[in-house]
Amino acid sequence: MKSVLTGLRAWTVQRVSAAYLLFFLLFALAWVAVHHPMSEAQWRAWVTSGGMREATMLFFAALLAHMWVGLRDVVLDYVKPLLVRTAVLGVLALGLAALGSWTALILIRA
Amino acid sequence: MQFLIYRYDPQSGARPHMQAYDLAPGHGEHMLLDALIRLHEQDDSLAFRRSCREGVCGSDAMNINGRNGLACVTPLASLKEPVTLRPLPSFPVIRDLVVDMTRFFRHYHAIRPYVVDDDPPPERERLQTPAERAELDGLYECILCACCTGFCPSYWWNPERYLGPAALLQAMRFIADSRDHATGERLEFLDDAYRLFRCRSIMNCTEVCPKGLNPNRAIDRIRMRMLKHEV
Amino acid sequence: MNARSDAPRFLNLFQIRFPVGAICSIGHRVSGVILAAAVPLVVYALDRSLAGPQAYARLAAALATAAGKTAVVVLAWALAHHALAGIRHVLKDVDVGASLGTARRSAWLVLAVGGIIALATAVLVA
Ligand code: HEM
Ligand code: SF4
Ligand code: SF4
Ligand code: FES
Repeated sequence: MKSVLTGLRAWTVQRVSAAYLLFFLLFALAWVAVHHPMSEAQWRAWVTSGGMREATMLFFAALLAHMWVGLRDVVLDYVKPLLVRTAVLGVLALGLAALGSWTALILIRA
Repeated sequence: MQFLIYRYDPQSGARPHMQAYDLAPGHGEHMLLDALIRLHEQDDSLAFRRSCREGVCGSDAMNINGRNGLACVTPLASLKEPVTLRPLPSFPVIRDLVVDMTRFFRHYHAIRPYVVDDDPPPERERLQTPAERAELDGLYECILCACCTGFCPSYWWNPERYLGPAALLQAMRFIADSRDHATGERLEFLDDAYRLFRCRSIMNCTEVCPKGLNPNRAIDRIRMRMLKHEV
Repeated sequence: MNARSDAPRFLNLFQIRFPVGAICSIGHRVSGVILAAAVPLVVYALDRSLAGPQAYARLAAALATAAGKTAVVVLAWALAHHALAGIRHVLKDVDVGASLGTARRSAWLVLAVGGIIALATAVLVA
């Protein structure tokens, strides 16, 4: 039984997502620093501008993948009883899915 | 010299405890193992393993002042007092400093520590070029002392399923061997959630290897080989 | 020789001396978990920031409180340490700085720069 996201594949997802997270965070933090202090209108215009909305969605997609692999590693190390572990991973997966939908809604409606 | 040593007697059923020893200096002992042998003359109930007494057999690995090492190659002069000796972390204790290595060797056997080649034997030896032979440097020297595996947090949390740095260094040793024909199978065997991928590159293994080997680097090299194997 | 099935094991983390690389690594894990725990808050903040001028102003005010500033400093440390340790990690994967000496120095560097970034953030928001 081999789940889709273990071993080398999970490891690769972790690195590729990390690269994008780093790139996006550096860019976003630099932008915010340069435009500080920012009015509400300015902020909204930036977040919803062409490209930025998509880049932000991609950021959250990468973030959720990164968090799933990373937190699953932590759970595998410390949560041993199979039933508890399955439950924790299930709650984690649901939580991440909910976070993803919520973020998508926020960005689409904005 | 002051010592504090972990004692456990399976017959008594009592919990392990630390026992203090005092050793008068001046018998020309240089290494920690020399001191242990003299302590054993004072108290022959004190149990530890040793054989070669020169860093070759790998039998006297223990936790020395909080770090794993071989008693026979640890100079007494390098140690703060009281010299605190405990068995290898996370290994089941048989008695005092003697631990059960069964699982450690089970993981070692799991990586198939021998050249796999199903072709008919050639007329002469299976030769290697000097460059091919050099690929084994930094890998073949391992003495299977378990200093590294006993110091690896990933192994502490997953001793059943994570193979640990010593077995993985040996896995790389056979992946790197030009005479071995099972590289693909070896890489696929290691590509699951546990056997190799519990390693978080903490490098505790490399910190304590008495032979100066770098198991973490071997693990990283296996991952790179896997990546190449996949594409 | 086998140990009894109820054999004791020595694994008292306070009696084990951890090398600097291990400290850096556990910091990577702790900071990763802190960041992950903060993600729902960050998403909530994103939601408020795009819910009109009043909500935006309230968010800005919340961030200016002592609790808000503390959160910013903690997250700055976590992100700085996690990202730096992550870069060190990936470089080591491709065999850059994989020797013990270099790895020890880079671990110190990550710990120090993470701390400096946290301090700098504290000074900035104070
Ligand atoms: C900003 C949000 C981020 C969150 C919530 C996050 C979360 C996590 C978590 C929980 C882990 C698992 C830690 C462990 O197993 O000990 C992890 C691992 C990792 N993170 Fe992040 N991370 C984030 C950003 C980044 C960035 C910007 C990088 C860039 C370099 C990065 C690089 C890594 C790497 C390389 C690993 C793998 C470590 C390993 O395999 O042992 N992360 N992350
Ligand atoms: S580098 Fe990997 S194998 Fe070595 S101590 Fe760390 S987790 Fe264990
Ligand atoms: S790699 Fe080093 S520490 Fe590990 S078993 Fe081999 S010789 Fe011992
Ligand atoms: S006694 Fe052989 S390695 Fe120490």
